[in-house]
Amino acid sequence: MLLKKLLAPGKKEKAVIEDLTRHIKLLCSGLDVFERAFRDKDRDLMASIIDLEREADVIRRDVISNIYEGAFLPYLRPRLCKFAEVIDCVFDLLEDAAYQYLDLVINASIQNYCTQIAALNGKIGEMLLLSFETLMGGGDLRDKALAIRVYEKKVDDIKLDLVRDLRKVEVKTFWDGKALSDFVSSLTSVSDIIEDASDYLQVINVSMR
Amino acid sequence: MPGMATLLPLIGCVFIAFVVGSNDTSNALGICIGCEILKFKKALCLFGPFVLLGAVLQGQKVMKTVGNDLLEVNFSILGVSLIVSALLIAFSNWKKLPLSTHQVIVGSFTGAGMASGIPVSMEFVAKIVLSWIVSPLGALFSALLIYKLMEKTLSRFSVFRIETILKSLLILCAIVIAYTTGANELATVLGGAVHGGLFSPTAASCGGALFVFLGALFLSPRVIETVGKGITTLDPYSGFAAQFGAATNVFIFTCLGMPVSTTFCIIGGIVGVGALKGMETVRFDLMRKMMLSWVAAPLLSFCICFIATKGLMFFPKGFFWV
Repeated sequence: MLLKKLLAPGKKEKAVIEDLTRHIKLLCSGLDVFERAFRDKDRDLMASIIDLEREADVIRRDVISNIYEGAFLPYLRPRLCKFAEVIDCVFDLLEDAAYQYLDLVINASIQNYCTQIAALNGKIGEMLLLSFETLMGGGDLRDKALAIRVYEKKVDDIKLDLVRDLRKVEVKTFWDGKALSDFVSSLTSVSDIIEDASDYLQVINVSMR
Repeated sequence: MPGMATLLPLIGCVFIAFVVGSNDTSNALGICIGCEILKFKKALCLFGPFVLLGAVLQGQKVMKTVGNDLLEVNFSILGVSLIVSALLIAFSNWKKLPLSTHQVIVGSFTGAGMASGIPVSMEFVAKIVLSWIVSPLGALFSALLIYKLMEKTLSRFSVFRIETILKSLLILCAIVIAYTTGANELATVLGGAVHGGLFSPTAASCGGALFVFLGALFLSPRVIETVGKGITTLDPYSGFAAQFGAATNVFIFTCLGMPVSTTFCIIGGIVGVGALKGMETVRFDLMRKMMLSWVAAPLLSFCICFIATKGLMFFPKGFFWV
């Protein structure tokens, strides 16, 4: 009992772990909301992504402030902070995509590609959550990291076709074209950044061994 | 001048105990404070009692080796040896040279004893020198063993659990090193004074521990910051293996009554862990410097004490020499 208490994580460490779990769960919700909003063309739902990004910002600040106040050994701190920041980058991309979507009319020829990518992003997000839970349980992350890489490759393949078809879409003004290009760029970058986050989890996992 | 004869060793003891507090506290607390596992004041509250406990419970063996088995000290030898040691340690601190307190004190006693014609036990000189060679090597192999053991056991846990376990182990390590600081480092400083009849063992242990504590309180924070932050930003896993390897070795040598340096043992441990990760991680330039200091410290203190004692013996008996 005493040993269990002695080996249990401290208050600050517990708070950081809980916040990071909440951060990733929120990311999964964000990716899910984005997919549903895009598929159903629901602008109100898409606008809610902006609130989710704000909520994620608060969590990131809590994580960093707890780490700054002394949670975890210094050796682990920069890696955990970096992980929280990478997750926040995904939220930023999602928010950018949501903002651009609200100003755009998506051409039917690319609608299907974008829906597929949004669905894959959701799956990658869930896999990241699974990775984090495995990290907490002390399991092997390699199969989860591999799954994320496979999903990411699929997104890259779809992106090639999407960009090829995107060139055929007629745009009326420079700004319409830029907004569409930015939207596609943000949407297709999400999986890249989640892959980076998964790599950080691997680094955290091996760093204390 | 019997007053002078007792005053000089007393000043020497107080000064060296103070320096042990300021310099060697980092051996015990550097990692814990650097990792912010313990705040400085809390760490000091843990350090002080364990230094005292070490000196009272287990210090006698090392005190006997230095103050009685090596040579039978008298007030004159005590005065010359401890003042020369104190000056050498002060000079090394000023010039930032890594001189071991043990080596300086043992070298000084041997030099002063030989110059004054008091029989010095060559058997004990050999035993002490051998323990100076064996202890860092022992720490090296212990650190290797501990690191391998940690890899086999700790690595099964999750990274967050490993982190929590490491924190507890680092506190345990700090306690063991604080204990051996009292039982070995402080005992080496006080050995001559106790067996020369200057203090009783209990009074010497209590007073010595107090001055170690004061040295730690007033002068150690900067050293701890340098050592602690320097080590912990590298790798707490290796840091623990090196430190605990050193702690167990110093403890074993303390049980055998041999005065050994915790700092040299920690360096041995660090080299062990470094070698496990690849020899390119070991800084051989720093190793050379440490080896040079390892040879120079006892020789230098021996020579200075020998010359100083011979010089003082020219004065009429009773002026200084009793």
